Amino acid sequence: MLRRKLTILAATAALALSTNMAFAQNKVLKFVSWQKDERGVGDWWASVIKAFEESHPGVKIEWTKVERGAYADTMTTLFAGGNPPDIVHLASFEFQKFADNGWLEPLDPYIKESKLDLNGWAGQDTCVWNKQTVCTMMLYFGYFLAYNEDLLKKEGLSVPKTYAEFLEAAKKTTKDLNGDGIIDQFGTGHETRGGGGQYISEMMNYTLDAGGRWTDENGKVTINTPQMIEGLSRWKTIVKNNLTPRDMSAGEVRQLFADGKIALKMDGPWLWPIIQKGKAKDQIKTAMVPFNPPVGGSSNVLAIPTDIDKANKKLVWEFIKLATSDQLQSTYATLGASPPPSPRADIKAAKAENPNFELLVQATQAAAKAKVDRIPKGLEINFNEFSKMIMEEAQRMIIQDLDPKAVAATMQQKAEALQQQ
Amino acid sequence: MKPRFSLDLARPSRRHWLGYLLLAPAVLLIGLIIVYPLIVSVDISFQNVNIARLDQPRRPFTTANYERLFTSADFWNAAWVTLKLVIIVSVFCFLLGLGTALLVNNKFKGRSLARLLVALPWAVPEVIAVVIFAWMFDSSFGLMNWIFIKLGFIDTTVNWFSSPAAAFMVVCMTMIWKGYPFVSIMMLAGLQSIPEDFYNAARVDGANTWQRLVNITIPSLMPVLGVTLVLVMLWVFRDFSIIYVLTGGGPLKATQTLSIMTYEQAFGFFKMGYASAIGVVTLIICVIASRLMIGRAPDNI
Repeated sequence: MLRRKLTILAATAALALSTNMAFAQNKVLKFVSWQKDERGVGDWWASVIKAFEESHPGVKIEWTKVERGAYADTMTTLFAGGNPPDIVHLASFEFQKFADNGWLEPLDPYIKESKLDLNGWAGQDTCVWNKQTVCTMMLYFGYFLAYNEDLLKKEGLSVPKTYAEFLEAAKKTTKDLNGDGIIDQFGTGHETRGGGGQYISEMMNYTLDAGGRWTDENGKVTINTPQMIEGLSRWKTIVKNNLTPRDMSAGEVRQLFADGKIALKMDGPWLWPIIQKGKAKDQIKTAMVPFNPPVGGSSNVLAIPTDIDKANKKLVWEFIKLATSDQLQSTYATLGASPPPSPRADIKAAKAENPNFELLVQATQAAAKAKVDRIPKGLEINFNEFSKMIMEEAQRMIIQDLDPKAVAATMQQKAEALQQQ
Repeated sequence: MKPRFSLDLARPSRRHWLGYLLLAPAVLLIGLIIVYPLIVSVDISFQNVNIARLDQPRRPFTTANYERLFTSADFWNAAWVTLKLVIIVSVFCFLLGLGTALLVNNKFKGRSLARLLVALPWAVPEVIAVVIFAWMFDSSFGLMNWIFIKLGFIDTTVNWFSSPAAAFMVVCMTMIWKGYPFVSIMMLAGLQSIPEDFYNAARVDGANTWQRLVNITIPSLMPVLGVTLVLVMLWVFRDFSIIYVLTGGGPLKATQTLSIMTYEQAFGFFKMGYASAIGVVTLIICVIASRLMIGRAPDNI
């Protein structure tokens, strides 16, 4: 009798195991990202996927690229259609809408169960939505200054350390080189065309240095302060005087800088690989930005959708755990050429490989210490509308030559109205 | 054994059934792809929805989206921009299209090449055309600034995409360049269907070129012209990619049409109820405008 029971038990176990194996062999996790094919960080994602597939035989990750410009639409459509990707990759300024709809799984039970230590994890506070952790931060960055040493030397300028020095250097290096009436070389470079998010990041170089913030730590709008008015005046000076090329996307401006057409550029870690491929690579040096604090902020997050089955959720969590492991966070520094968010990552190899790396770490720490984020507290859910409004009012200030004080008052009023929606 | 039910489509009284049967898949598909989303859009426009999901319970009925829409300065601005764009682009497309069609309808050496060149912009994908125009009108390194400075028209560069009027003009030019070949091709087809006898008779009666154009060519082209204008107008109304890639609707909403506004509200600000309301109003305007133009066409022939 016992032998018979044991035989049945063994047969059941074998059947269950084979079913599970067959199931696992067919398991495909969908992962949509805009960073696929990106030099550096794209390679790092590929290494995470490879490591995951090796440690989970039979589970494959179907990695699909969606362009950043179409990303919000695609993800919204996928979620709204009840068919979200298993591994959710979102920008840190857009996940809030998804979390607010209840589409992102609270991660606190997973973090607790797996004892994942996120203490000191850069930008992780941003992932807390309605008192629940809904994502893990994958990058927090700080801006550094890259400058073209030759262009500064030609004008007898040293590396600027204050806004006044920066403005002087930008004015002196903005030139029409062949006298045809067209400016061929610019003092600095900012994106003045495209999305509101990037536009306000560019503006923040000046508003932060002037001591201004969009909102205070309680989420109260603080745009009509003297500091913000000063910051807006600085932005107007730079753009109105054509010290930056006009109507260019961020990518075009970076390429112009890498090719030696711009003297000074403040940007994040992603600028470094572009410089390395540019014509002026040997003339470009780096330093801390001449502004205090530097622009910084959270960049992108990983999350689990609520709409997938329990087994998939478990697998996605394992993927997140792997991506946040000390080992892969260390390779993030070398492959991604950016400071990883993990405080435990070993960045010695990255420092040895990239002479700029120490500066990136310093810039990130300075921005984090000053609690800088391009997503203002209290306006997270309306960030897209807010950034678009700020961009339009700033453009109006420049096009119609308006007084920054009046513009700040309009921005204040509109931002408060957005908060009350 | 005799089948219990048979459908004899050969019977004269049931012959039309075959037609319905053959049409059924297409009708079903249209219903699924066009009619169903349309009904859903109308339904969503009467709900206060941010991100719509079909599996979620329906929100209470409200007209708030329409109330907000009709009191919104942005909506009226977008409607005005759309109207301006439709009129300017349609008129210039018509003039250029008719002019080039008349030109390449004549017999001359190199006519085939000329016809090819006239039709070329139509074959260029919209996004590529936009990239070319964006480069030509680039404020810092664009061709147009260089040409205008060399010709002495301007003494300093124009920031084409930072000036509301200049940006609107660039959008119009791009759309005209992209749209006129369609009018040209349609007009050319229409011109070739006009019997030569009409012109010979007119010549015998002593009609000059202008009189032949006004009294024979234009009236004979009216049926084609009516349909073509409706198609061009609808294209301008719904075109999204040219404006979105070129200006994104800016600066200062100077190029924000109703379709750009719908997209921005739906996928930029995730306000799908409000976006649906804009879409529904746009649809109604399009239907009325098309009906008016097509309805009037027979009177003009």
